[in-house]
Amino acid sequence: MLQFLAQATPPETNFWQQAPGTTGLILGVVGAFIIGMLLFFGLSTIPTQFRRYIIVGFTFLAGLVFVLQYLWPRPINADFEKELPRNAVEGFGAWLGVAIDPVAKTANILAAFLLGLGIFSLMRVHINKIRRRAQDWGFSLILIVSSVIMAIFGFWDWNMRQFNDPEALLTSQENWKFANYVNDALFDGMYQQMDAAMFSMIAFFILSAAYRAFRIRSVEATVMMASALILMLNLMGALTFMWSGWINGLVESTGNQFLTNFDLTVVAGWLRANMQIPAIRAIEFGVGLGALAMGLRLWLGLEKGGVSS
Amino acid sequence: MTIWEKLQAVDRRILYLILAVCVSAGLFITIEIPTDPDPSSRDLYQAIMDIPEGKTVIIQSDWTNSTRGESMGHFENLLRLLMSRNLKFVFYSAADPIAPQVARTTLARIIKERKDEGLYEYQIGEDYIDLGYFANAEATNLNMGIDLRNAWSGKRTKKAGAGEISIWESPVLKDVRKIEDAGMMIVVTASASIDVAVQRLNKKVSIGAMVTGVVGPTVLPFYQAKQVNGVAVGLKGVYDLEYCMANGVNLKDEDGNIKVLNKGGKEYPKITEGKTLARGSKYYGTLHIALILLILAVVLGNVGMAMSRKKPGAKRS
Amino acid sequence: MNFLQGSQYLDTGWFGVFSTLLVVFFILYNIARAKKTGGNLFIRRIAGLNAIDDAIGRATEMGRPILMVPGIGDLDAVSVQAVNIFAQVTKTAAQFATPIKLCCARATVYAVAQEVIRDVYSQQGMSDRYSIDSVQYISDQQFAFAAGVSGIILREKVAAAFLLGAFYAESLIFAETCNSIGAIQVAGSTQSTQTPFFIAACDYVLIGDEFYAASAYLTREPVLVGSLLGQDWAKILMTAYVMLGFLIMSAERLQPLAVQRIDEGGVSRMEPYEGEAKRKTASDTMVHRLFNPLITEEMNTIEREPNPDYEGEEEAANAGGGA
Repeated sequence: MLQFLAQATPPETNFWQQAPGTTGLILGVVGAFIIGMLLFFGLSTIPTQFRRYIIVGFTFLAGLVFVLQYLWPRPINADFEKELPRNAVEGFGAWLGVAIDPVAKTANILAAFLLGLGIFSLMRVHINKIRRRAQDWGFSLILIVSSVIMAIFGFWDWNMRQFNDPEALLTSQENWKFANYVNDALFDGMYQQMDAAMFSMIAFFILSAAYRAFRIRSVEATVMMASALILMLNLMGALTFMWSGWINGLVESTGNQFLTNFDLTVVAGWLRANMQIPAIRAIEFGVGLGALAMGLRLWLGLEKGGVSS
Repeated sequence: MTIWEKLQAVDRRILYLILAVCVSAGLFITIEIPTDPDPSSRDLYQAIMDIPEGKTVIIQSDWTNSTRGESMGHFENLLRLLMSRNLKFVFYSAADPIAPQVARTTLARIIKERKDEGLYEYQIGEDYIDLGYFANAEATNLNMGIDLRNAWSGKRTKKAGAGEISIWESPVLKDVRKIEDAGMMIVVTASASIDVAVQRLNKKVSIGAMVTGVVGPTVLPFYQAKQVNGVAVGLKGVYDLEYCMANGVNLKDEDGNIKVLNKGGKEYPKITEGKTLARGSKYYGTLHIALILLILAVVLGNVGMAMSRKKPGAKRS
Repeated sequence: MNFLQGSQYLDTGWFGVFSTLLVVFFILYNIARAKKTGGNLFIRRIAGLNAIDDAIGRATEMGRPILMVPGIGDLDAVSVQAVNIFAQVTKTAAQFATPIKLCCARATVYAVAQEVIRDVYSQQGMSDRYSIDSVQYISDQQFAFAAGVSGIILREKVAAAFLLGAFYAESLIFAETCNSIGAIQVAGSTQSTQTPFFIAACDYVLIGDEFYAASAYLTREPVLVGSLLGQDWAKILMTAYVMLGFLIMSAERLQPLAVQRIDEGGVSRMEPYEGEAKRKTASDTMVHRLFNPLITEEMNTIEREPNPDYEGEEEAANAGGGA
C-alpha cells in the first residue's frame, strides 16, 4: 500500500501518471470515473447513523498525512531520487514526501465531482424558473444559454491549443481560427470586461461607505479619520514629493534634524509599522489559533452538531 | 432644510456621478508625477535587480482581469524588468483557473511591444515556460518546497522547432532541481495566496510580492519580518516600480539630482531598454483625483454634520 | 539518537514544532476539562452575536428572507465554521418559519451546507419548511458570484444578511447592497483586509477570532467552550513569547559580538569574531537560531547509497514527461 501511493518512478511503471494520448490514460480516466460514481452513490446509501464514523475516519486519515508531513523529521540535503534512505525513519519521510502529492490531488478530484453537483443545483433552480415562467425568468434563460455557449467554445479553443498546436502557433493572433476568435470575444471581450466592471463598482461603494463612516462622532472615530487621511494623502505621489521638498528645505534652513519626522512618508510609514502591522499581526494570531483549534476538532472528530453531525 | 442638512442627506447617486466623471476625466491626462517611492517598492526593485545572471525566476500569477487596474500594471512591470535583464522565467497560477489565460494575454502583448521596439523577442520553451493552473494553492506550494521536480512532474512545454518537450529539458529549468535553485519567486496576487507562499516557501527562496492595495496591509507584516524581500502595493506600487525603473536608485541624473534615494544603500542602474513609465503613470493621476474627491466628500460630510448640530434645537445623530 | 542524525526540523527548528504541540495540548486539555464541568465556563459578551436573534426577529416580523453567505473560500476550517454558525441561525429561523437563502461560491461548500441545513430542518421536525432552493450554488467566479448574490438581495428584498467567512473584494458590494435596501447586517471575515470594509458598512461585525468563538457562544457545547479556553491559553503563551523574545533579543544585542554566525552555501556555523569591537546583529542571537537552526557541514555530507533506479540527469528529464 505504501509503495502504491508513493510512486516516483517514470510514467511507464507509474500508477499515477500516464503519457497523454495513450490508451492507458483514457482507460484510467474512464475507470476512475466509473469507480468514483459508484463510490459516490454507494456512500450516499449508507444509513445516517454510520455516516458519522465514515466521515470522521476519512477525515482523520486524510489529515494524518499532512500532520505527519509537518512533524516527521526531514533529512537535510537528501535527494531520494538519487540516493537511498539510510533507515526506516528516512524511508518513511521520503515516502511521505512523494505520497503527499496524490493525497492532495484526491481533494481536487473530490472537488471536481462536487462541482458537477453545484452545476446541477444551478441548472435545477433556473430551469424550474423558466418552466414556471417565474418573475425575471428571462435572466435565467440568458444564464443557461451563456454557460452552454461559453463551455462549447472554451473547450473547442482549449482542444485546438492543447492537442493540435505543438509549435505554439496559436500564441500569435495571426494564426487564429474561428473558435479562437469567438472564445476570445466571449472570454476577453465580454466576461473579463463584466468582471472588471463589477470590481470597479467597489470604488462607488467605498465612496458612499466612507462618506457615512468617517464622521467625527467620538474620539476613536476622529483618530481613525485622521490616520486614514494621512495614509490617503501618502498615496498621492505629487503631494508626498512636494511635502518632503518642503520639509527638507526647512531642515536645511533651521538645521533641526528632528523635523524630518514630519515628512509625510515617514509619518505614514510610522503609522503602518507601529499601528497597522501590529494590530493585523495580533488579529492574525487569533485567527490562526482559531483555525488550528477548529482544524483539530474536525480532524479528531470532536465536534458534534453542524457539519460533523 | 439648510444646505448643511442637505449635504448630510446627499443622494449617493450624485456622489457616484461626480466620481465617475472625475475619474474618467483623469484617464485622458498622462503626466509624469514626481514621487517618493515607498521603501517596500524600492526594496522589490533592488531585489529583482540583485537576481544573479542566468538564474530562473518563478512567477506565481494569481490575478484576474477584475483587479487589472493594479495587478496588470504589476505584471507588466515585472515582465519588462525581467526581459530587460534577460532573465528566464516560469509562470503558473495557484489561485484562480482564469489567471493563467490573463497572464498569457498580457505576456503576449509585452512580447509584441518589445518586438515592435526592435528588442529581443522572448520564446516559449526557450526563455519562459507556462505551467498553467494548479488547483489547491496550499498543496502546490507545500509540494514545491518539498520536491519541485515532483510538484511539477509530467509538465511539458511547447518549444519552437522542437515540438513538445519536458519542462526539465528546456533551457529555462535545466539548472533547477529544487526551489532553492531559483533566483527569486515573485507572487503577483489580489488574494491571500501570498500568505500561503510565504508560509510554505520563505525559508527556501527569496520572495517578492506585487499585491493590490487591499491585500497590501496583510503582506506588510511579512515584509517587516524580512520574510518577503519587497512588496509593491496597489497602484502606488505600480508607479513606484516604474519610477525606480526610469530613474534607478541612488542614481544621479544629468543635473546631479538623485530622484530615488535610499540612504546608505548602494546604487542601482535604471532600465535603458523598452518602456519604463507605462500603465502606472497613466493611472496615477486618476488615483490623485479619486483620493482628493474622497477626502473632499469626508470633509464636506463632517462640516455638514458640525453645522447642522450648531443649529439651535437640531437633532443629534 | 543515531537514527535522527542529519535530520532536522528544517522549516521551523524544534521550537515551532514544540510550540504547536503545546497549543494542541492546551486545546485538548481544556476540552477535557470543559467536558467535566459541562461547558460551564465564562465567555465575554460579543455584541455581533447578540444581534443574531434581533436580525432573525426582524426578518420574521417583515416576512422577508434571511440571507447567509459563507464567503468565497474553499471548503476549509473557515467555511465549515461559517456553515456551523448558519446551522444555528437556521435552527431559530426554522422555528419562526422565516425563509432562508444560503448562497455558496464553492460546490464543495454547497454540498456540505445543503446536507447540514436539511438536517437542521429535519431535526426540528420541520422538513416541510425546507425548500431545495434554500441553499444555492451561484458561481465560483468571484464577481459572477457577487453579481448573483446582489441580484438575490435586491429581488428578494432580504431583511437580514449574515456575511460570515472568507470574503475578499465582494464584501463591500454585498454590504452596501444590503444597506441600500435597509437590511440588517451581521458580518465577520477571517480576512483582516476585509474587516475595515465591513466595519464601515455593516451594523455588527465579528473581528478576527470572534468568528471562531461564535459557535461556542451560541451553543455552549463543552467541546467548543473548552477549545475556546484553550485558544485563550495559547494567546497568553504567544504574548509571553513576544515579550520574552523582545527582552532576550534586546539584551543579547547589547552584548559585544564574540561568536559570529556565518551562513554560506546552505551551511551555517558559529565562528569566534576577532574584528573591531561591535555589538551582536540580529542573526548572531540565540532568538534567531531558535527559528533558523544551524545547518552544519556534517548534516550536509551524510553518505547514502545510490538509488539503483536512478537513471541519471538526462534520462530522468525525459522520463519526467508523463501525463
